[in-house]
Amino acid sequence: MNSQALIRVIATREFLARIRTRLFAITTVLTVVGIGAYILLQAYVLNKSATSLDVGFVGTAQSISAPVRAEAAALGETITVQPYASLAAGTADLQSGTIDALVSGSGPSTTLTTQSSVDPTLETALNDQARQQVLTEYLTQHGLSPSDALGQLNFSVGVNELSPVNAARVEQIVIGLLVAGILYVTMVIYGQLVAAGVIEEKSNRIVEILLATVRPWQLMLGKIAGIGLVALIQVVLVAGVALVLASVTKLVSIPTLSVDVVVSGIVWFVLGYLMYALLFAAAGSMVSRQEDVSSVALPVIMVLVAGWILALTVAAPDPGSPGTTVLSFIPLFSPVIMPVRIAAGVAPFWQVAISVVVVIATIFVFAAIAGRIYRNSVLRVGGRVKFSDALGLTPSGEKLT
Amino acid sequence: MRAFGDNRRRSKAMLELRHLTKRYGAIEALHDLSFTVQPGEIFGFVGANGAGKTTTMRVVLGVLEADSGNVIWDGAPITFAARRRIGYIPEDRGLYPKMAVLAQLEYFGRLHGLKRNAAREASTALLERLGLADRAKSQLQSLSHGNQQRVQLAAALVFSPELLVLDEPFAGLDPVAVDSMTEVLRSEADAGKPVVLSSHQLDIVERVCDRVGIINHGQMVALGTVDELTDRGPSRFWVDAPRAAAGWYDSLAGTTLVEQDGSRWLIQVGEGAGDQAVLRAALATGPVHEFRRDRPALTQLFRDVMSGKAIDE
Repeated sequence: MNSQALIRVIATREFLARIRTRLFAITTVLTVVGIGAYILLQAYVLNKSATSLDVGFVGTAQSISAPVRAEAAALGETITVQPYASLAAGTADLQSGTIDALVSGSGPSTTLTTQSSVDPTLETALNDQARQQVLTEYLTQHGLSPSDALGQLNFSVGVNELSPVNAARVEQIVIGLLVAGILYVTMVIYGQLVAAGVIEEKSNRIVEILLATVRPWQLMLGKIAGIGLVALIQVVLVAGVALVLASVTKLVSIPTLSVDVVVSGIVWFVLGYLMYALLFAAAGSMVSRQEDVSSVALPVIMVLVAGWILALTVAAPDPGSPGTTVLSFIPLFSPVIMPVRIAAGVAPFWQVAISVVVVIATIFVFAAIAGRIYRNSVLRVGGRVKFSDALGLTPSGEKLT
Repeated sequence: MRAFGDNRRRSKAMLELRHLTKRYGAIEALHDLSFTVQPGEIFGFVGANGAGKTTTMRVVLGVLEADSGNVIWDGAPITFAARRRIGYIPEDRGLYPKMAVLAQLEYFGRLHGLKRNAAREASTALLERLGLADRAKSQLQSLSHGNQQRVQLAAALVFSPELLVLDEPFAGLDPVAVDSMTEVLRSEADAGKPVVLSSHQLDIVERVCDRVGIINHGQMVALGTVDELTDRGPSRFWVDAPRAAAGWYDSLAGTTLVEQDGSRWLIQVGEGAGDQAVLRAALATGPVHEFRRDRPALTQLFRDVMSGKAIDE
């Protein structure tokens, strides 16, 4: 029986043992619901800010309603004008929620009344138009042509954005963080499952029978592969739901969700999971009791958490910064930083390729080290195995010479 | 009673342990340990806790590496492939508590190279044979201790091993379960497989095993068939002679009293004094109601060995 067949038998058991568990069902449903709720909330918030405003104009204020609406429209906001004869009628409608804002008075005494917050676009348009009204009157009084004078003002300050932030960019970062977040959460959950699975076999002493039949590295890889497949299914499921919801609610447009973002997300998950699962397996092999899983898994989780915090604080605000670029090349951080850069469209292909190669090399190094730790530790019961013993540096001091 | 599985592959190979030595730091767990187990033979391995039984078994299985010495299987140093043909019950039982019994056996069958269908058939047949067919779908942890032990045995047998290595297979079993396990082991041995088992229950070892090795501090201190071992040492006789007076045996050179229980005397005779001479001396005192050779039970022998009393090899 070759190694591949053996690893497949082991992986199949691990897969079946976990895909049927309540934990899988619960975490899948919870993540799908959580992400769905997040996306729907985002869609709701974004849509609300884009909703057109119903603005009441009382008496004399009606004279600026048309230019205000025109300016707001130019700024990307739709205003529906509701004329009122009296302030009382307008106020009553504002309080009942029929209109979002009420404009009264004229010239310098123009007043904007709202229920709670003032829409900045409306405020800007109103200020501009009220001032223009005052200026027009002033110029007319002094015998000047308002249209000539205002023609002089018909210009805008030139704007150069060295790194423009546009709506599409924000969408891309949202997608990148979503991908990185799913990878991060899944690696934490399934990494710990790997550690717990190793400890389970160790504490039940099954490992002794198994190791009489299979090589330690076969056992370790079979476990990582089986659990990884469960994780992959969950990731694809969750990502699928997220993408469908996001595009249905038009939170993100389909072009942002390019195929390479999804495919690279899956590739980064596989690479990241393998890299961390090896560390979790090695950590798990060093203790004998299920209670100790968190203590040995903690250092590994801390690295994952650090990567995620960096993704949120460094990569998301500025995916193209040199800091983000450097971080994305550190193999332990690549799986959560690189997806953000890829989604933001600031990761050149050669950079992604290099970091993939670096991570794959890291996986091989980790496999060698983890295999060694696992082999030296997994049959030792009792207390926590010392690092030097686990690495086989000083086995009972006999190989020192 | 037939053995399980594919007996066409019945091997007639012998297991030999040659001069095994193993140290854990300052502790010498095995010291120049050698013994052989013949095809079809059940070899009992007895010793106090920490004597080196489990270490020996782990070395045979390759789970542990000896510092020196060899494990010879079928005339050549044992290979990983050959080790995969060993049915093993480790000292600490090991199975997945939450896995169904049948699925568990199939898994071990497949790990040892059986195809899916063959593993299913062998597992089902074994469960049938061990009276566990109705528990096939149950989680292991829902079974009683004795039944879990049977599943453990089934896991060691499911792939038709060529050699059985069983660390304390009888631990915690009731007498009925011991009998059924014994029966299975005997049929496996009858199929030509060497069987090595360790046990603290010396009465069972005495009854079940063809040969016995007593290990102490990593060294083999006694080795032979049960009869050979219990025949060793000084000859002792129980004599029930109501009229005998103290010192009635003095005419027999070198004879001493070991124990007296009413009219029953346990005497240990010197070299050269045959049983007939002892009987004549007893009859000279009057009527004799009982006269029998006292064979020490394995338990007694074991105690003697452990307390350092010399055993003539």
